[in-house]
Amino acid sequence: MIFMLKKTDTNKEIADLKNQIEDLTNKWKRALADYQNLEKRTVARITDSAKYSAENIIIKLLPVLDTLEQAEKHIKDQGLALAISSFKDVLKSEGVEKVEVLGKKFEPREMEAIEVQASDKEDEVIEELRPGYRLGEKVIRVAQVKVSKKIKYKEE
Amino acid sequence: MAKIIGIDLGTTNSCVAVMEGGSPKVIHSAEGRNVIPSVVDPIKRVVGDVAKRQIVINPKSTIFSIKRLMGRKFNDKSVQQDMKWLPYTIKSGRDGMAVVEVGGKTFTPQEISAMILQKIKADAESYLGEKVSEAVITVPAYFDDSQRQATKQAGEIAGLEVKRILNEPTAAALAYGLDKKHAHTVAVYDLGGGTFDISVLELGEGVYEVKATNGDTHLGGDDFDKVILDHLADEFKKENGVDLRKDSQALQRLRDAAEKAKIELSTSLEADINLPFITQGKEGPLHLVTKLSRSKLESLVGDLIDKTIAPVEACLKDAKITKDKIDEIVMVGGMTRMPKVFEVVKNFFGKEPNRSVNPDEVVAIGAAVQAGVLTGEVKDVVLLDVTPLTLGVETLGGVSTPLITRNTTVPTSKSEVFSTAADNQTSVEINVLQGERPMAADNKSLGRFILSGIPPAPRGVPQVEVMFDIDANGILNVHAKDKATGKSQSIRITSSTGLSKDEIEKMTKEAEAHASEDTEKKDKIEARNKADNMIYVAEKSLKDAGDKVSADVKKEVEEKVKALKDVLETGSKEDLETKTSDLSNSLQKIGQAMYQGQGQQGPNTPPGQEPPKEEGNGEKKKKDDKKEAVEGEVVS
Repeated sequence: MIFMLKKTDTNKEIADLKNQIEDLTNKWKRALADYQNLEKRTVARITDSAKYSAENIIIKLLPVLDTLEQAEKHIKDQGLALAISSFKDVLKSEGVEKVEVLGKKFEPREMEAIEVQASDKEDEVIEELRPGYRLGEKVIRVAQVKVSKKIKYKEE
Repeated sequence: MAKIIGIDLGTTNSCVAVMEGGSPKVIHSAEGRNVIPSVVDPIKRVVGDVAKRQIVINPKSTIFSIKRLMGRKFNDKSVQQDMKWLPYTIKSGRDGMAVVEVGGKTFTPQEISAMILQKIKADAESYLGEKVSEAVITVPAYFDDSQRQATKQAGEIAGLEVKRILNEPTAAALAYGLDKKHAHTVAVYDLGGGTFDISVLELGEGVYEVKATNGDTHLGGDDFDKVILDHLADEFKKENGVDLRKDSQALQRLRDAAEKAKIELSTSLEADINLPFITQGKEGPLHLVTKLSRSKLESLVGDLIDKTIAPVEACLKDAKITKDKIDEIVMVGGMTRMPKVFEVVKNFFGKEPNRSVNPDEVVAIGAAVQAGVLTGEVKDVVLLDVTPLTLGVETLGGVSTPLITRNTTVPTSKSEVFSTAADNQTSVEINVLQGERPMAADNKSLGRFILSGIPPAPRGVPQVEVMFDIDANGILNVHAKDKATGKSQSIRITSSTGLSKDEIEKMTKEAEAHASEDTEKKDKIEARNKADNMIYVAEKSLKDAGDKVSADVKKEVEEKVKALKDVLETGSKEDLETKTSDLSNSLQKIGQAMYQGQGQQGPNTPPGQEPPKEEGNGEKKKKDDKKEAVEGEVVS
């Protein structure tokens, strides 16, 4: 009787331990997987951040360029025009490119519509209100544009 | 093992988080943002920022605030009211439910929400690098059964099995781990982009139950932005006679500037608003140049903030509870970053609200915690501890040399080789220290032991490896071993992480307070150690060289040694450093003399040319060089 009892206990103990091993193995695997994923992502992030390290500072500089360009439009000074063009050369050398929008079809991935104007054309950019810029493949600032629209909704 | 993601499907913005390595992490969208605007163009099937950008050209096909229609009948009073200001078409669909009509097609709010969820799912999958098929989604506490059902359906349409619909305030409480802290009664103050919610929760049977909820469905950050914008536009009109609100381009710039100023004023007392060439006046271009102070902003939005108090009072009344019975207050929503909002809430409850978790992310984080509970990841998660303070040993001159720096996740181990400080030293004392201060005496000694039986040798030669090992339970084992004899000794310290929070804080603060004087003290001791070592090398070199050096050189070196010895205990750091380098220069003459005597035997490094290192290895090598030189000598 005592022997039986002991044996049952041992079986239970084995079962418990087996469960525990399974549980721990799962947790260990999960931790390992999380770690490996983290490692992969860290590598990706480092590559990315090296690629786009200039991005933040460039984004901060763009409004300054906007202002200079607006000033140039009003003052029409040659010196200022030269300053702007050398500013743009620096941006270009860093891989910054202007998003071309005029006359194109509206594309919300690189443009933001600010105003709509009735016209015979549908969804065409008729004015660039604030230029957009791309750094490599990535749009770092969308262009703000005025878009043409055929009035077609019956209820309007 | 598949992950369950936690989703905050919001009226204005949505956010997603997942448990990773035992802690919740917010997943950024493909556009690199932590939240996604809850905006959808169901015809073009674009979601988020991209959809938001085309809202002006397609006002009737860009759907936002769809959450306001979720699971509601077309005839609902709230739907009828929202119809007045929402620019898209709302109709009565099957069973009288509210649906939207876009380009001749009808979409249920579930379908629109599903598009947001699909984008979230795609972003999460690209982040995790695996398929995601299960989610926990949060809803406002006041959502009824039909609204919850609709939310669940939205998940299913998006290909997500909704494992749990969780109340937003409960999620916020989970994110702060309030259930673990056994906070019984919790108030959640949620001031988001377009809605205000206040809820009172009570902990029962390990889960939070919503006792009462109240709010204002049309009060949020957007109203704050509008007040600021109107203020700026009015000021400008007064000065220049031009209404910027009539110029859509100027309005857009002003809107961006108003939001930016609002955010800036949460951390600074004054914000500059510069919008050059904002519009064209009669006499050329006009510029908007102004400042907005925090106090001005607070006076502008004071009414809006006060509007939140009545619902809070009503909510407490419904919960049949007084405000002094609230154990914890949790702040949710970007607007709670405004210091004035925090202050008003704090004053009302007479208690500091919780706000350490990003208020835009806190609900999604709580959803992820709930998801973690469902996968078993959170239930008895291995909470990996960190060492709260730096652990190290005492070295020559009473300096504390760190081995394991603070905030290192345990289990961990680290070893380093040390040597003796004196000739023929046969034992070393290992004093185990805890603390951030550079001097041993200022740190806490956790224990000490002696490793003896080191064979007699010149100082710096014996190699004693000291290993620190902290196991998962925070128990520290320190092991010291003499590499030559293999003799070892160890100590086991169980209280390495057992300090109370206050003690840790005190020790850390002390370290900060004494940082500069400590560094000075340490620098001085390091200079003294170097000087001491230089004296040792000089005396040894003189002895080794015997009469191969001229009496002049010998005298010079002896004098310099004496000069350095005189200031060793009392001299300033600068004094010690100059005298050490003086001695080092003179010492080179011994080397030169020896090589001259030796003839052209080989390009051995003359001793003393490099400043001697404290490391055992380097020194040993140099001594060997010297020995060679002595053996090869030719007596002239």
